[in-house]
Amino acid sequence: MSTSKETDLALAARCREGDLGAFEELYRTHAGRLYSLAFRMLGNPADAEDQLQEIFLSAHRKLESYRGDAALGTWLYRLAMNQILDYVRSRAARAGQMTDGLDDASVLADASGHRLADRAIDRIDLERALAELPDGCRAAFVLHDVDGLEHKEIAQMLGIAEGTSKSQVHKARLRLRGLLGRG
Amino acid sequence: MSCERQIERIQELVDGTLGAIRRSELEHHLAQCPDCRALRDDLTRIRDAAAALPPHAPPDGAWLQIAGRLRQEGRVRDLTAASAGHQRGARPYAWLAIAASLVLASGVSIFVLIRSTSAPVPGAAGTPAAGNAGGTPSVQAVQSEVDAAQEQFEKAITKMDDLRKANMQALDPQTSEVIEKNLGIIDHAIAENRAAVKAEPASVAARETLFEALRQKVSLLQDTISLINEMRQGNNAAAAQLVNKS
Repeated sequence: MSTSKETDLALAARCREGDLGAFEELYRTHAGRLYSLAFRMLGNPADAEDQLQEIFLSAHRKLESYRGDAALGTWLYRLAMNQILDYVRSRAARAGQMTDGLDDASVLADASGHRLADRAIDRIDLERALAELPDGCRAAFVLHDVDGLEHKEIAQMLGIAEGTSKSQVHKARLRLRGLLGRG
Repeated sequence: MSCERQIERIQELVDGTLGAIRRSELEHHLAQCPDCRALRDDLTRIRDAAAALPPHAPPDGAWLQIAGRLRQEGRVRDLTAASAGHQRGARPYAWLAIAASLVLASGVSIFVLIRSTSAPVPGAAGTPAAGNAGGTPSVQAVQSEVDAAQEQFEKAITKMDDLRKANMQALDPQTSEVIEKNLGIIDHAIAENRAAVKAEPASVAARETLFEALRQKVSLLQDTISLINEMRQGNNAAAAQLVNKS
């Protein structure tokens, strides 16, 4: 057994035994990445904070099922993604709208739209533009271009085809170009 | 070859997944097309900027909220408090944590019920009855459900508030004043939102805003109870973080 797997299993065991210090150690290691994921997926800090709580409370309940097949961080990330997606879908259903993707006409318009200025892309401008993407495109883009996941894994997480994941990321980049170019 | 056909190939070039032959064809086109070169450059910059985005730090009080919930639900033991001998001092107030968790659990489950009934009124959009508060049976049925759920939710809030009031002496006067002030602001918002829902019972936005205000009150009461618990256990550092959060 590798050292990191041993470490993960030992930490999970301590958490299951009710060791709050161990769970805090897990939190401190992974909260930043998971909060960032929630923030970029949901577009506002209040929802992201709420979901971060729900993610870790859910993780504490589900640690019984952790067997070390994946790294603890990966297991947490997938749990977080499922939690966030459930929330996004229920939010969209309550609002009576599903904002999955971009139609081809608007994508073509983005492709021939404003070029970006020569200066570096401002981080805050990019975060704001991300928040304006439809939910489906935003999810694929955050997972691929921000967090570096492969399309195969994204497709599994989002329940879509690999080709759809690729298409969503491409559309997102074009829409971001349009949004940033107007800035 | 038209530029529209190049868009997808440019994306694959940016991804590094374009095959050798198509890459060669594309590069020949890029040499002659400034628009496509600009597109390639912009998409590359967007991809690189996204990869370089720094992580967002979670809010300071987030861990305390989580730890508070776990303690309230009896799912953890705090070894630090136990070894420092604080466990003895906290024992008389264990009832506070259990009581708060029961009230909070009922409040949260009712809140979930409310959110699940906050769907748009069937057939309301674009119909002659849209916006007519006393109109169609579907509007009345949804309003009755919302009223019943809201009443249960507010009962749960009242219980949590009673718990808070019974134990506020654990807090210093300045902190108590801040909490009372914040509760006053939220109560004012709740009253305004109730009036808005009453005026437009079919309005999804009005209901959502009311429930958001109720949710904020639950959150503030939960924080207050966590703060009281931390003060009782002598965990002043944790208590200070909760105060800063509010």
